[in-house]
Amino acid sequence: VRPVKATPEGVISDKVEKSIKDAEETCAGDPVSGECVAAWDEVEELSAAASHARDKKKDSDPLEEYCKDNPETNECRTYD
Amino acid sequence: MAVSTIYSTQALNSTHFFTSSSSSKQVFFYRRQNNRRFNTIITCAAQQTVVIGLAADSGCGKSTFMRRLTSVFGGAAEPPKGGNPDSNTLISDMTTVICLDDYHSLDRTGRKEKGVTALDPRANDFDLMYEQVKALKSGIAVEKPIYNHVTGLLDAPELIQPPKILVIEGLHPMFDERVRDLLDFSIYLDISNEVKFAWKIQRDMAERGHSLESIKASIEARKPDFDAFIDPQKQYADAVIEVLPTQLIPDDNEGKVLRVRLIMKEGVKYFSPVYLFDEGSTISWIPCGRKLTCSYPGIKFNYAPDSYFDHEVSVVEMDGQFDRLDELIYVESHLSNLSTKFYGEVTQQMLKHADFPGSNNGTGLFQTIVGLKIRDLYEQLIANKATAPAEAAKA
Repeated sequence: VRPVKATPEGVISDKVEKSIKDAEETCAGDPVSGECVAAWDEVEELSAAASHARDKKKDSDPLEEYCKDNPETNECRTYD
Repeated sequence: MAVSTIYSTQALNSTHFFTSSSSSKQVFFYRRQNNRRFNTIITCAAQQTVVIGLAADSGCGKSTFMRRLTSVFGGAAEPPKGGNPDSNTLISDMTTVICLDDYHSLDRTGRKEKGVTALDPRANDFDLMYEQVKALKSGIAVEKPIYNHVTGLLDAPELIQPPKILVIEGLHPMFDERVRDLLDFSIYLDISNEVKFAWKIQRDMAERGHSLESIKASIEARKPDFDAFIDPQKQYADAVIEVLPTQLIPDDNEGKVLRVRLIMKEGVKYFSPVYLFDEGSTISWIPCGRKLTCSYPGIKFNYAPDSYFDHEVSVVEMDGQFDRLDELIYVESHLSNLSTKFYGEVTQQMLKHADFPGSNNGTGLFQTIVGLKIRDLYEQLIANKATAPAEAAKA
């Protein structure tokens, strides 16, 4: 079943950590094998996803978030 | 083509257009572009879709560039409403940005089993990419897959409507010859190894589990595939933004002060390169002096004709960073062919997004300039498509 909300940041963080461990283990045996390279590629992909999730969180302004859902309240009403 | 059915419904008031060849269809639909009452006609109007390709490695500022580009056209870009929350697509009034990772043919597990990276062409479905980009360009909506970056799985597809401007961004927009030929303009973000390393440290060091070694190992492991499959695409780009370490500070490794080069291909239709003072000359310019105070390490511009992969190019280079806004307007007033609509538009666009990465150096400046050049190219293309068939019909 598909989650309704986007995956929370903490879950991605855990995945990054795990993927780094996996990559280090995979590469311990053979540092130039396809498996090793693919494992580090996964690390990069997850790190990028984690950084995008962080940026998204950073951008959000608490008042703006609230006003998206409650545009009629006193603190949110704007007239052009 | 589905297009011809709508043709007859509108034939009453513009008979002379459809008596001639198929090219006259374009002007006809263009004229109907604002006619919102007919759903089908809006689709046909999108026959004017202009396709832009943006290539760069992951973590090299593609998304910042995309936000600057969509802002030039006005309106904010947002993910499709009510769809998959992990969708990579961004839609605004004028532009739709598609992430080419959605055309992975192998998901994360599949790549691990085969021992290939996402950079490898074997992990990507170029046939589907070509078909769908071609369909969107000719005004047909498509069901595009979604590659979920969090789970690493291919999710159920989403419906993409043909936009006015379609941007395809990712690792391989210019890799496949058929896709390349569909592009009206192409850009490559070329980040040097030193800067890439510095940027990834800034991005990842805060992340749990990452260390200097893991960041280095990840870059090293992906490098052979990057050099083989991604980097060669830059020879096909109409504009390349090269990001290098500064030359103003000896042995700088921080990656905060940057030397950024905008390499523009000569002879591209509807694209006239930007120049500094005098077109075609070689100029080195330090704007700091009596009229402008700069703090350390200052700013240095270079402009010169050059050759890049056997193409004639013009290169504008900026080394250093801005401290204050008056520096930028001073610089803008000495650049020509910026395709601005009013004096100070580059500065205004940069000010709008002062919080984006790169706003105080050449990356933000050149990304904004390329955004304006794309707007100009789009407007010329549309105007030309509208007049050319009409003239053909008269003849």
